[in-house]
Formats: sequence, structure tokens, C-alpha cells
Amino acid sequence: MKNVKIGWFFAIVLSVSVMSATAFCGFYVAKADATLFNNRSEVILVRDGLRTVITMSNDFQGNMRDFAMVVPVPVVLKESDIKVVSRRVFNVLDEYSSPRLVEYYDENPCMRYMSDQMLYNSESSEMTRSKMVFSTEEDAGFGVTIEAKYSIGEYDILILSAKESGGLKDWLLINGYKIPATAGEVLQPYIKSNMKFFVVKVNLDKMQTGYEYLSPIQISFEHEKFMLPIRLGMANSQGEQDMIVYAFTKQGRIECTNYRTVKMPTDKNIPLFVRNQFGDFYKDLFQRTYKYEGRNAVFLEYAWNVSPQNTGMKCDPCVGPPPIFNDFVEAGVDWALTGSTANNVFFTRLHVRYGRDKFPADLTFQETPNNENYQCRYVLTHPAYGPFDCEDAQSYLESLKERRKKEIDELYALTGKGDMKSGAYLIEFDKHLKKPVKSEKGEEERNDFVPWAPIDNRISPWKILPAVGLFLFIFGIMRYASVRPRTAV
Amino acid sequence: MYPQLLSLKDWFASDGRHFQIISQTLFLMYGFYFLGWDADWLNIIAAFAGTLIITWLAIKRGMVGRHSLKSALITSLGLSLLLKANSPWLFLLAAVLAIGQKVLIRPGNKHLWNPANFGIVAVVILSGSAWISPGQWGSGALLIFIIGSLGLAVLSKIKRLETGFTFLIVLSSLEAARSIFYMGWGADVWLHKMSSGSLWLFALFMITDPMTSPNSRPMRILWATGIAIVSFVLANFYFINAAPFWVLFFATPLNFIIDRLYKSMPFKWFEDNPISISSQIQITQDK
Repeated sequence: MKNVKIGWFFAIVLSVSVMSATAFCGFYVAKADATLFNNRSEVILVRDGLRTVITMSNDFQGNMRDFAMVVPVPVVLKESDIKVVSRRVFNVLDEYSSPRLVEYYDENPCMRYMSDQMLYNSESSEMTRSKMVFSTEEDAGFGVTIEAKYSIGEYDILILSAKESGGLKDWLLINGYKIPATAGEVLQPYIKSNMKFFVVKVNLDKMQTGYEYLSPIQISFEHEKFMLPIRLGMANSQGEQDMIVYAFTKQGRIECTNYRTVKMPTDKNIPLFVRNQFGDFYKDLFQRTYKYEGRNAVFLEYAWNVSPQNTGMKCDPCVGPPPIFNDFVEAGVDWALTGSTANNVFFTRLHVRYGRDKFPADLTFQETPNNENYQCRYVLTHPAYGPFDCEDAQSYLESLKERRKKEIDELYALTGKGDMKSGAYLIEFDKHLKKPVKSEKGEEERNDFVPWAPIDNRISPWKILPAVGLFLFIFGIMRYASVRPRTAV
Repeated sequence: MYPQLLSLKDWFASDGRHFQIISQTLFLMYGFYFLGWDADWLNIIAAFAGTLIITWLAIKRGMVGRHSLKSALITSLGLSLLLKANSPWLFLLAAVLAIGQKVLIRPGNKHLWNPANFGIVAVVILSGSAWISPGQWGSGALLIFIIGSLGLAVLSKIKRLETGFTFLIVLSSLEAARSIFYMGWGADVWLHKMSSGSLWLFALFMITDPMTSPNSRPMRILWATGIAIVSFVLANFYFINAAPFWVLFFATPLNFIIDRLYKSMPFKWFEDNPISISSQIQITQDK
């Protein structure tokens, strides 16, 4: 922590659930003509050996009778492999693992004074509404086989296998699923790789009254494939979509094997005025990082051992309660409750923003032994508010001003945006200064309304030093190793 | 041959490994500074310390020549580029195992395994706390171009062009046949798969190691084709990540047999070239 040197402090937590996200990896199939977008989705992914449990939550907005969903799955699912779970578990995981803001307080240099204040401010995810309809038709020469038919919760579910995409497409159309024109070409590869199709519709009769949103659906199966089929979801969505993946594994973090998995910048000191606009701040930060990484990386937002047996800290600070027994049961983490494996429940939160051009292939994952904790954390530091009537106060105020300069630069480097509040923020305590702050590097000429050129904190001169050292070392060894004994001549 | 007697350029060109060392160092820096890897210098130090110390001990005991330090550098860089582990000790272990097997098991004055490949596979299997990240390079077109051209410089120097290219051509043809023509994905899915940085590094820097590939050229082509086919099958039908690394581990010991069946001139890192020796004598006399 850079600012720790200034007196005592203590931390306060402020949570903003930045991405109130929802949904899945298949595509919506509209029966109505309304253009449907599915720009956000949330998935809980549990992997234990070859067993995978996928829970998909959707933010379908429209008439429930129009809702339908198609997800490719590697095997024919049994009835016991499909469950309807409560939306609550997504809220728990989202709140627990979302990027967080921490506040520290400077102690007054002239007085032992403490203040504390607790702010807890979390926006819960948006819910959605639903209703339904379903029709049961059999294979009519389309090369489509209904492998299984279930009615679970408010859903009517079919497991289809198909011989070719044209037949499947026609079958879906004839049975009243309005599928996007471009879906045919994406269905083909899944058919060829022997995948089945998990087709879901809402049964309005089974919808419990008072339910305003569709329940998340959970499927489980055993297969080597550890992937999320994102390509189908691109068939009826334009532009970019966001997906949050909450993953549970026994060993350590999951990472993507066909795209880069990159950490979001974390532990950055940012100006106080960001407090009331943290959601926007994180959105800007995400967008900028996403662009910087070439729009085709997967971002790590959280990683922690959340085992119920792990009595240590599960976040620092926590913005929401860590998942507990019920949540593990709900998410399908069945090893978390009993036996010797219960102390290994590793949680990873990944955030993917994907578009058709940069994400041509489905996401594939692997579990790694990397069990290092990680969280997205941004730090606010409150100054002491006088009285500044002692000698120490002047040096404190000077360092405060330096710190605020750095915070403003950091904000700009992170989001690529300046803020009109920067100028006032910088000079807020100038009135208490007896003489103007002398700055190194002639920085007094800076324009504080349009902040300094962005600092790319990934490449700074001192960070290059080890590389230079390594080069020299390697070069030295190469030269030394080239000397041959005299007998060679 | 004393490096100080040659111009820097001639010295640099005198051994294909120089190109390889510099290229691999550049990739490592690229990973740290541009791809945002967790730059853990302790891991790098452990990898270098392990390989260099074991090699130095082997030199002292007369088991290998001093030039083996260059191979040790390549091994350390290979480990740093490809291996991920929870602790620097695992890097040290990988380095020691890599060079240890290289200096101890030397049938026909070659080795059974590519040292970096052996170190990585051994530590991943033995420790359970190490892994390979096939996705860490992403698939940036520029990166592929850079790896390609640097790899080319190395391969043309050590005359192993056909090995890497056979591997790439066979694998990409199989992938194209499956992804595009059989499954019906667009060409971009295939291109995405084939532009993986890890794959190119493997093809241009690991499978081409002259000490662990067959001596005879036709055999090398056959051998690389075999590795490509098996990697393709494992990746597509058994869903094994980083398949080529595993396949190479089992394929390199075959060379021991292949080289006995098809005799050919063994590879030497540098020629004891009479011209360079005479020019060197001349320089000495000029002094």
C-alpha cells in the first residue's frame, strides 16, 4: 500500500456490483419478431475430474411465451442431470466476487483522531420476467431425433440429436422456434462433433405465480470437454456480449486454453471522487483494458479458496458474504460439504467480452494448480480534515498533494478519461499551505484539468532493468561458452 | 576459436544457438512486458541457476564441453517460456532434471529427450503444482510473424527447417480438413487455432532440436509427421491440452532406434572449419 506511511488508517468497504449481469451460452430463439439481444450472461461452471456442472442464468427480456434456448451439450442428459436452481446463488457469487473499492483514512497529523463510517451499498442484479408455451413434435424426416423429453420446473426440455444442420434448422422452425438466419452454419460444427442440443422452452402452466423471472437451469454431465459454447450465442446478438463465469474447482484457478487469461489491474489508488461513480469507473477501466489487450483476452476478476473448511479470510475486504453450504449445493459443488476434499474449493471469476470477429472459437478451459488469491481492488484514501495547526501538518499537506496528483494520473491511466473534478480535488487543501508545493520535474506547469499524459504502468523504466540485466548475463555466458580450449587450434 | 578474435558479427553467426538464445529472450520479455504474465523473477533465476550449475558441474567432470552452457541457456529460457508453477523450487527441480538427464543419458552422443521438454513434463507429472498455459500467447498475428521470422533464422542456421515446417504443415492440414471441411467452421476458427503462439514456439524451437531429432533428413520428416498426427488426434479426440509437448516427450526416445536403423551424419553445433582456423591463425600472426 503506497499511502500507508501517512499515519494510521483503517479500511472501510464499499461495494458496487458493477456488472449486474445475467444469462448463458446458447442462443435465444424468438418466436416473436422482436429483435432480441442477449448481451449479458452469467454462468456457474463447476469442474471435478471429467464432471462438469453448468448453471446458466438468463436475462431474457420479453414475453415468456417467446422464450426458448438452445445449448449444445456433449452427451444426452438424463432427467437427474437437469435442475432448476434459484437465482439467489448468482447474486451471492456476484456480490461476493465483484470488483471492490476500499477506503482508508489518514490520521490527522496534529491530533489522534479517528473516524469511521460504514457504507454498504450494493446493487443487486436485475431480474427478468417470464411466461411460456411448448409443443411436442416428433422427428418428421428431418434427421432430428428427440433423445429425451423432460418437464423440469417451469421448463419443457428436449434433448435433440441431428444428422445435419439444415434438418435441425427446419425442425426448429416447423416446431415454432424462430431461429436466426445465421444459426444454420453454427449448428453444423456441433452436429459434426457429435454434440446434442439441449432445447428449452417455458411451460406457462408451470410458471409459479409471482415469479417475475426465469429460473437458472443447471445441467451436469461427464465428458473430457471443458468448454463453453459461445458461438451459438453470437448468432442472434450483434456486437459484443459480456459473460461472467463463476468457476469452482478442487485444485486452483481455471484459465482459458485458447485465449489469453489476463488479470485486471488491481490495488490502484484512485481519487476520492470516484466513490460515487465506481460503477462507471469500472466499466471504463474494463473497456480500456479490454481494448489494450487486443479485444481477445479473458479477464480474471477474482480467485480465492472459498472452502467452508478454510477458516481464513475469503476476501480482503469482503463486499458480500462468501458462499456458504446452501450456495455450494445450489451451484453443484457437491464435494464442498463432506469428506477430505471439502477443504479444496477454489473459486475463479472470469469476465469475457466477446464479439464475433475476435472470438471465432468457443472458449475452452483448463484447471490449473494455481491457487494464488486475487481480487480486483481499488483504493480510496480520505485525508485528515484539520485543524492543521502544527508543524507536521505542512509536510503532510505537501505529501497529500503529491498523492492526489498520482491518483489523478492513475485514474487517467486506468480509464483513459480525465475528470472535471480533478482540478478542484488537487487544490482542495492548498488554502492550508503556508508556501506553495515545490514539485520535482517542473510539474507545476501541468494542466490539472486535462491530466498528464497517460502513464502506462505496465512498462516503466525501472521495470525494464531486470530485463537489461538478464540480457547482459545471457550475453556474457554466450561469450564465455564460445571460448574453446587451445587444443582445438 | 576465441570469440574475441572474431568480429562480433562473425562470432554471432558462428553458432545457430546464438540466434535461438536471443530470440527466446525476446519472447520472454514480450510475455512479461506486453502480455502481462506474472513476472516472477525468482522463477527465472531458479531456472537459470539449475541449468547452469548442473552444466558447469558436468563441464568440470569433463562430461560435456564448455559450449554446453549455451544449451543450458536455451533450456532455462524454454522452461521460463513454457512452464508455470506455484514455486521457484519447481523451476529449480525442472532445470536440474532437464540437464541431469541430458548429461547422464547420452546414447550415441545425443540425448533421449529435449531437456526443456523433459523438465516440463517431469515436473508437471511429478509435482502436481506445475502446469502449461497453452493460451498464454494468445494468437496475435504480429507475434506469429515475429516468432516465424526469428525461428526461420535459427532453423536455417542449424539446418532443421524441414522438421518444424513438416510439423506445421501436417498439423494445419489435418486441422483444416477437420475444422473447415468436415465440421464446417469458418476458416477463422482454423486460423485462430493455428496461430497459437505456443504452437509456433514448439514447432520452431523445440521439435527442431538437432540433438533430439533423427540424423537422417527423410526420417526427420517422417518423425515430425508422426508427431503432428498424434498431436492432432490427442487434441481433437481426447481433448488433451498442449498435446504436442506430451507427444514429443514420448517421440524423442524413438530417435535412438531410428538413428541405428538409418545411419546418417550426427549433428554438430559448429564445424571445425579449416578456413576459420587458418583465418584465426592469421589474425594471431598479425598481432
